Amino acid sequence: MLLPFYWVFKTAVSNENIYAYPPRLLPESPHLFNFVDVWYFIPFPRYLLNSLIVSALVVVCNLAFNAMAAYALSKSFPGRRAVLLLFLSCMLIPFQATIIPAYLITSKLGLLNSYLGLALPLLSTIVCIFVFKAAFEAVPQSLIDAARIDGLANRHIILRVLMPLSKAAIATNIVLAFIWSWNAFLWPLIITRDPNMQTLPLGLARFLSYLEDTTGALYAFAAMVLAPSIFVFLMAQKEFIRGLTSGATKG
Amino acid sequence: MRAAGEAVGTLVEPGQGWWQRKRTRDLALVAAFLLPSLTLFVLYRLLPLGWNVLLSLQYWSPLKPARWAGLDHYQEMLLADEVFWQSLQNTLVFIGASPFAIALALGIALLVNSDLKGAAAYRSIIFLSYPLMTVAVGIIWRWMYDERGGIINFALRESGLIAKPIPFLQSFEWALPSVIVAEVWQVLGFYMIIILTGLQSIPQHLYEAAAIDGAPRWAQFWRITLPMLKPSLFLCAVLGILNSFTSFDLVYIMTNGGPGHATELLITYIYKSGFGQTKFDYAAALTVVQFILLLALTYLANRLAGGNAGSLEQR
Repeated sequence: MLLPFYWVFKTAVSNENIYAYPPRLLPESPHLFNFVDVWYFIPFPRYLLNSLIVSALVVVCNLAFNAMAAYALSKSFPGRRAVLLLFLSCMLIPFQATIIPAYLITSKLGLLNSYLGLALPLLSTIVCIFVFKAAFEAVPQSLIDAARIDGLANRHIILRVLMPLSKAAIATNIVLAFIWSWNAFLWPLIITRDPNMQTLPLGLARFLSYLEDTTGALYAFAAMVLAPSIFVFLMAQKEFIRGLTSGATKG
Repeated sequence: MRAAGEAVGTLVEPGQGWWQRKRTRDLALVAAFLLPSLTLFVLYRLLPLGWNVLLSLQYWSPLKPARWAGLDHYQEMLLADEVFWQSLQNTLVFIGASPFAIALALGIALLVNSDLKGAAAYRSIIFLSYPLMTVAVGIIWRWMYDERGGIINFALRESGLIAKPIPFLQSFEWALPSVIVAEVWQVLGFYMIIILTGLQSIPQHLYEAAAIDGAPRWAQFWRITLPMLKPSLFLCAVLGILNSFTSFDLVYIMTNGGPGHATELLITYIYKSGFGQTKFDYAAALTVVQFILLLALTYLANRLAGGNAGSLEQR
């Protein structure tokens, strides 16, 4: 299972002709020039900046929108079942099945080649709404009532009572939203034609089509792009798995 | 609890209209809080679904007025488009591989669920590939499959299994299986985690009772573990079906549907028709067909799992 990781890392630090046969199992005179190459050879900082902006936008909006929706759903109101059903049926529609109209809609909104357009379809996630909903419902009602008696407004109940008690749900939201936006490829591929707006996955794909697989720099690039998600995963493995399986165990 | 809170509220602010006013205020709040998410889902999930159907029944291209096409696009697709049939077949092969992947994941899950030393570490390692950027994963596997620099050909040649290197991704017969292997590598950990969650929710006393009754291990597996895992396995199956949509990234990077159309999936064909040839109407018709396929297969999996395994409404 780990072999692919080793192979890409080995190629990334190799100096020799990577097409030589037989390939060496250990890199000969390992060095980091390939990584430096990536930084200067392609607009890596630009891709990185774009990726970071889009991911930050997605993470922040997910936290706000999902928590708000979850709070609303944890109350009873007429039409609640209909809204729940709508959310659940939306879960069954893969984003890839919407690309043509989604492109046309985004183009009508004038958001092609923009950060907002890149982030928009990802700004709220149904799975994460349910993660928040479960966390909010686990908070004892007496606590909320006590806060209400003390005269706290709804927004303060969310910010000062519910959110501090839902740290795990917050972590899950952050991790999932980050990973999904960081890795997104098809959507940015469709709506960004301007190289200045492209994100890291697009940069990687462009690099591949320019150079084919001929240079160690490509693999250095791949390793650099993989590093953040591996890091996030190792830091927050528990939250990540909980988020994915909470959708799993409850349907 | 709630009643108590409201009773106190009444003490503070008595009066006939109070309850009414609070009710409307609450409703307004609920509506305002649901608005952003709801707007997004309607805009980017529901509306596109309907729009796809509409587009597929029209002759439409940017800057030209739409004309009614009836079922012309479907007729063209089903009767005259060989690439459609090829990509449909590939998509079905792709989905058909998932039961094997799920069986493999089940085996691994049973192993790492035991008290073996290092089981937790092994679990993380297997799961590690799931959250990775698929574009990078595709590049890594391209390189692993490479004729000269790739480790797979190297290992096969060294062990004497093959004499000549196989150009995996350039050959008509090897390309699709090769892409599927890479795809399974990436999602295997996710299947495993789902099955593991299912395994851990099986009450231990069932096994104890079976052991007392003298049931052998294989019977315990067959009669307790598998039936109790049905919901998890169903979920894995649904994911396997959905993967035929989400594997766009991997196929695009590894082969871009080639050689010829040997690894063309419906989703890559949809992308090419829509954004390569700007046949948005035709691409919409393809999307409708794939979506119907998705629903039909999910329904089938649900029936196989015993009817209500998804239990969406129970939430």
